[in-house]
This record gives sequence, structure tokens and C-alpha cells, in this order.
Amino acid sequence: MTASADLEIFLISIGAGLIGSLAGVGGGIIVVPALTIIFGIDIRLAIGASIVSVIATSSGAAAAYVRDRMTDMRVGMFLELATTSGAIAGALLAAIVAPSVLLVLLGVVLLGSAAQQALRLGEELPPDAEPTGAALRLRLFGSYPDARLGREVTYAARRVPLGFALMGLAGVVSGLLGIGSGALKVLAMDAAMRLPMKVSSATSNFMIGVTAAASAGIYLGRGDVDPTIAVPVALGVLAGATIGARLLPRLSNRRVRLIFLPVLVVIGLETLARGLGIRP
Amino acid sequence: MTPERFSAVVSGVLIVGVVTSAVLMTIAVFGSLVVGWGGSLVGAPASALSATDYSAIVPGLLALRPIAIAQAGLIVLVATPVVRVIASVIGFALERDRLYSAITLGVLTILLISLIGLR
Repeated sequence: MTASADLEIFLISIGAGLIGSLAGVGGGIIVVPALTIIFGIDIRLAIGASIVSVIATSSGAAAAYVRDRMTDMRVGMFLELATTSGAIAGALLAAIVAPSVLLVLLGVVLLGSAAQQALRLGEELPPDAEPTGAALRLRLFGSYPDARLGREVTYAARRVPLGFALMGLAGVVSGLLGIGSGALKVLAMDAAMRLPMKVSSATSNFMIGVTAAASAGIYLGRGDVDPTIAVPVALGVLAGATIGARLLPRLSNRRVRLIFLPVLVVIGLETLARGLGIRP
Repeated sequence: MTPERFSAVVSGVLIVGVVTSAVLMTIAVFGSLVVGWGGSLVGAPASALSATDYSAIVPGLLALRPIAIAQAGLIVLVATPVVRVIASVIGFALERDRLYSAITLGVLTILLISLIGLR
């Protein structure tokens, strides 16, 4: 890598960190194609750098989100049980399941969810709900300060078993395919559990670092993380995520969904293309 | 421990991890511009080690090689979420929140199994 290529990778990564921190995803959808298509970097090293970028987005943004009470730590920790065990199951399944069928299925699910997201674009907050059942026992309810609305917004998780199952699936998918888990996490919290969009995005950001860290050790040991590529990516993503984390509290929930929707469509199309063998 | 203090501790762990890692990686980048990735900031002979081989990190750090400093920065970054989970276990325990202490301990156990067991 030349110094000017490093600088370009750094600048593109700022964008990846910014979008990732706002949408609650890892930024891999930007980092991997940019590294492979623009810079001709080997896919293996690009994925290694993308795992690092997920952790950088997560830790960089979550530091601010936790402090600003945008993250629901109980929801995050409870659902991490599902994602981490799902990730192990996925890594074990990878040896026996053909990924192409799963990629097509996942692509269809993501695009279907995108249609549902589009229908919800006008909604600022989910309807008020009192915590019941599992949400009550697990205390999956709370409030966050909404700088945009200028008030404290209360919320309670609904359909906790469905959300937990989707999170397990997100873990399996990330262990098996290494992609799309951030988008599924946001969907599990927003569409299934009906948490406010900003809380879903911030809590997903909080969680994706842990899911990625679980597999990062494997990538490091295998020699897939080349510092000469991963360092400019990580520094750029950290900068972008820091900016994004300052923006999110001031954006409306509608705007955050408007940022998440195209990200979801791109991930869905990429996944489908990989499953159908159109793209590696 | 109050919830506010708990948030401050978790947020603090993340900030320390991210800043440490960013400082190491920035030093490595500027160092590499001066002596190259495999060079040495204290004038040791250049190393031909592979950039993706993390086993020579300790001698590399002692010779202040940019590549080893970069590797250290990446390791700190990858370790940050794990340390955050450990801090959460302690936090929930200090809050005397048995349910969430157990849940977080479960997450930590699964995380350690995947870090140690799956290679």
C-alpha cells in the first residue's frame, strides 16, 4: 500500500464508521467492497479488516451511546446471550451446511424486512406499551433522553421470545456467513420488540463488538488481519463512529430509519447476489 | 453502584480501550512513514517478518517496530469488547442484580469458549 492509498482507505472508512454508527451495523458492507473492488485487496484480508472495523464502530460509538443513555444495557446483555451462543452454533454449522441456500434465504428475509421498514418510515415512536410477561420479569423496559423531542421517552420491549430467537439467528448468521448480523439485530429490536429506532440502533452498536470479538481471535490467529490494511480502516472507522455518535441523539427516529433502510436494501441485495453465485 | 455510575464505568472502559488503541495505531502509522512498517524506531536492523504474523509482537515492540505497535493497537481494539463484558459482570454484581450478573457471566463464558475453543 502506498501512503496515498492508505489515506484514501482512511477517508472511505470515516464514511463507513459514520453510517455504521447511525444505522447500528458494522460498516462491513462499505469496507469489504471498497477494499476488494477499488484497491484490489484479497477478499480474505478485506474480511479480516472488516471484522476489525465492526469492533471499531461498536466500541467507538458505544462509548458515547452508553454515556448518553441511548443504549439499553439490560436489553443488550440479555440478547448477547442469544447472539454469542448462536455465533458458536453458526461456526460449527459452517462445516456441514451449504451457505448458498442460507444466503438466498437471508437475502429474501432482509429485503422483505426492508419493505416493512419502508411502510414504517413515517413512524417517530412505537405505540406506548406497558411491560408484561418476559419483559417485566427481565426488566426490559426503560427510558432515554430524546434531544430531538426534548423529553424523556419511555419504552417497553414486546415479543421478547421472538426478539431473542431472531438474535440467536443473527448470531448463527454471523458465525456461519460473517455478515448481516448488525442489520438483523436492529430488526430484532425495532420490528420484533418494538423498541424506539434510536435505542435499537445504539443497542445494536453496543452488541456487534462482542459478536465480532468472539470471531476476531480466529481471524487474528489465521493471519487474516494485516495491520497495514486494518490500521487505516480502524482509525478511519473510529473517527467516523465518533462523529456519528454525536449526531444520533439529535436526529429524529424517522431520520435514523431513513438511514437504516438503504443500508438494509444493500445488505439484502449483496447477500442474495452471493447466494445466487453472482458475486463471490 | 447507581445506574449512572454503572454507565460511566462501562463507557469509561470503552473510551480507554478505544483511545489506547487509536494512539498506538497513530504512532505506528507515522512511524511507518519514517522507517517503514518493518523498520525500527530505535535503529534495530529491519525485520522481514510477515505483517500478519502476531507471534513476534513482543520482540517487535521492544525494537519499537511500527508493525508491532500496529499489531498491539489492533489487539487492544479487539480486546475492548471483552473487557467491557467483564466490567459489566462486576457492575451488575456490585448493583446486587443477581439475574443480570448471571446473564452477563453467561455471555462472558460463551465468549471465552469461542475465543479459546474454536481454533
